[in-house]
Amino acid sequence: MVSQTLIDIWNSLRQANIWIRIALAFILLLVLISLSFWQKTKLESKLIWSFLRGTIQIVLFGSILSLIFGIRKLWMLYLILFLMCLFAAFTNARSYPYPRLFLIGFIAITSSSIVIMTLVMFSYIFPGFEGIIPLDPDTLELTGEYVIPIGSMVISFAMRVSGIAIERVKSDIIKSKGNIEAALALGDSPYRAIQNILRESYRAGLTPTINRVASLGIVTIPGLMAGMIIGGVPPVEAAIYQIVIFLMLLSASFITSIITNILFTKQFFTKKQQFDIEFLNKIAKLDNQTTGALLKERWKKWREKIKRKKKSVETTD
Amino acid sequence: MNTTKESFSNLFSLEDVYFDIEGKVILSKINVAIDNTGITGIIGPSGSGKSTFLRLLNKLISPTQGIVKFKDSDIAEMKSQELRKEIGMVLQRPFLFKGTVKSNLLYGPKIWNIDYIDPELVNLLDTVSLEADFLERDIEGLSGGEQQRVSLARSLANQPIVLLLDEPTTALDIVSEEIIENTLKQLASEGIKIIIVTHSLEQTKRLTEQLLFLKEGLLIEKTTTKDFFKQYNDQEIRSFFKNKEGK
Ligand SMILES: Nc1ncnc2c1ncn2[C@@H]1O[C@H](COP(=O)(O)OP(=O)(O)O)[C@@H](O)[C@H]1O
Ligand SMILES: [Mg+2]
Repeated sequence: MVSQTLIDIWNSLRQANIWIRIALAFILLLVLISLSFWQKTKLESKLIWSFLRGTIQIVLFGSILSLIFGIRKLWMLYLILFLMCLFAAFTNARSYPYPRLFLIGFIAITSSSIVIMTLVMFSYIFPGFEGIIPLDPDTLELTGEYVIPIGSMVISFAMRVSGIAIERVKSDIIKSKGNIEAALALGDSPYRAIQNILRESYRAGLTPTINRVASLGIVTIPGLMAGMIIGGVPPVEAAIYQIVIFLMLLSASFITSIITNILFTKQFFTKKQQFDIEFLNKIAKLDNQTTGALLKERWKKWREKIKRKKKSVETTD
Repeated sequence: MNTTKESFSNLFSLEDVYFDIEGKVILSKINVAIDNTGITGIIGPSGSGKSTFLRLLNKLISPTQGIVKFKDSDIAEMKSQELRKEIGMVLQRPFLFKGTVKSNLLYGPKIWNIDYIDPELVNLLDTVSLEADFLERDIEGLSGGEQQRVSLARSLANQPIVLLLDEPTTALDIVSEEIIENTLKQLASEGIKIIIVTHSLEQTKRLTEQLLFLKEGLLIEKTTTKDFFKQYNDQEIRSFFKNKEGK
């Protein structure tokens, strides 16, 4: 497979207009270099190095993409989606370092994205419908070319939205501890006692995207639609496509948030409809160190490090 | 209300009860029975475990060790939610839910499918000396004292047989305190059992017939209020109320 891709790369490189493009790019680079020389900016070596490095990286990236886009085996498509879910859960658990959030996020993101993706991937089984995700026109198979980018959008979206919801739920439970206990003392179940909090968290997670949908075409033209139009898809078709994508993103996010919220908030309570005091204390301690504060701290440290590096460079000069 | 002779001997009894959080002992070796004569007070310095003790009674927490019994049966075997319907609780702060007074009063009844018509809710408000027009008012506009009275009425809406109160008047002015105390006396005379945590000796004298005295997680004394104030002079009692930090 890898060797096949290398051959593909080689074949595409052998096409004449690729070389014309490279030659044009080379001329532009020469122009840049001479401009730099003329203006004594001393950027020449940097320019050459950056473009050399950038070109290699992006060609490699492109070839990995073409490797992935070429996938036609269903199990491999699912495997890649699964790995992306794993990665998303990992990223989420790092931004929101709460107990079990990796596992919870993984279960939630995987189940919702796989369900949504499966529905979309196999939408072509409706008679007379060619499917939401275009099939390979020759073999009528699902290909990585569409499944993987759409899947990655769905997964990363679900990850972000459920993260916002979790953060909100966590701080609201700590803030409303007294009210929740009052509800429990009246005989309410923990799940019902936090209904309002859950509801607000879904709103917080989904509202920005819903607003974005409402402003579509006036304020924003989403990247996907723009890309499709450049790729030759008729604008109206691309527009409908974009709407379908937003619906997928929102539903995957909503399902993910519901699952993460339920599994996450369960930990706050015991089976006897009580607060789990030790868990609550643990979370409250983390709360004093909000993610924002943590990031700020890291940013500060990083800047100091850069400063120190600069200083040491200056002194050695 | 309920005037028939109950078939249980003790309202609550605690047998060898311990409670720890994160390895720290909060209550230890509590052995006590609370019968149903009048209002029971729980006193002691701050941090002595009074709130913790109260939460054990409606199972908002469970003992690390030992048994808590309600009407002679182990509450560990009872459903928390049903237990809490019979045992109302009012905390130091009102913790009302967003919305109107009416929606707060109906929060419990909705869980238990108890039907209320407006005149009954007005009666409920009357027991805490609030006018009928409070029913439709938003809780945001109420004073602290009014909110606490709504909180008390909200607990009563469940028609509990016991009421637990955790320093219900600590944050209130004298007038509201008096209204609440009068309501409690009235409720007690109607047969509702009341257990109140307080740090006010005056309130203890005014309201309670018997009291439990806690210090550093230990039950130091269980006696009638009369005997307590006969047994110890003011200076001794004040020294009881000093906690480790001398506050
Ligand atoms: N949620 C909690 N987490 C850790 N320690 C607690 C918690 N609640 C109470 N405590 C500790 O338990 C002890 C008794 O508290 P509490 O029952 O509230 O006392 P009181 O009501 O008499 O002031 C105190 O030392 C307090 O610090
Ligand atoms: Mg207390």
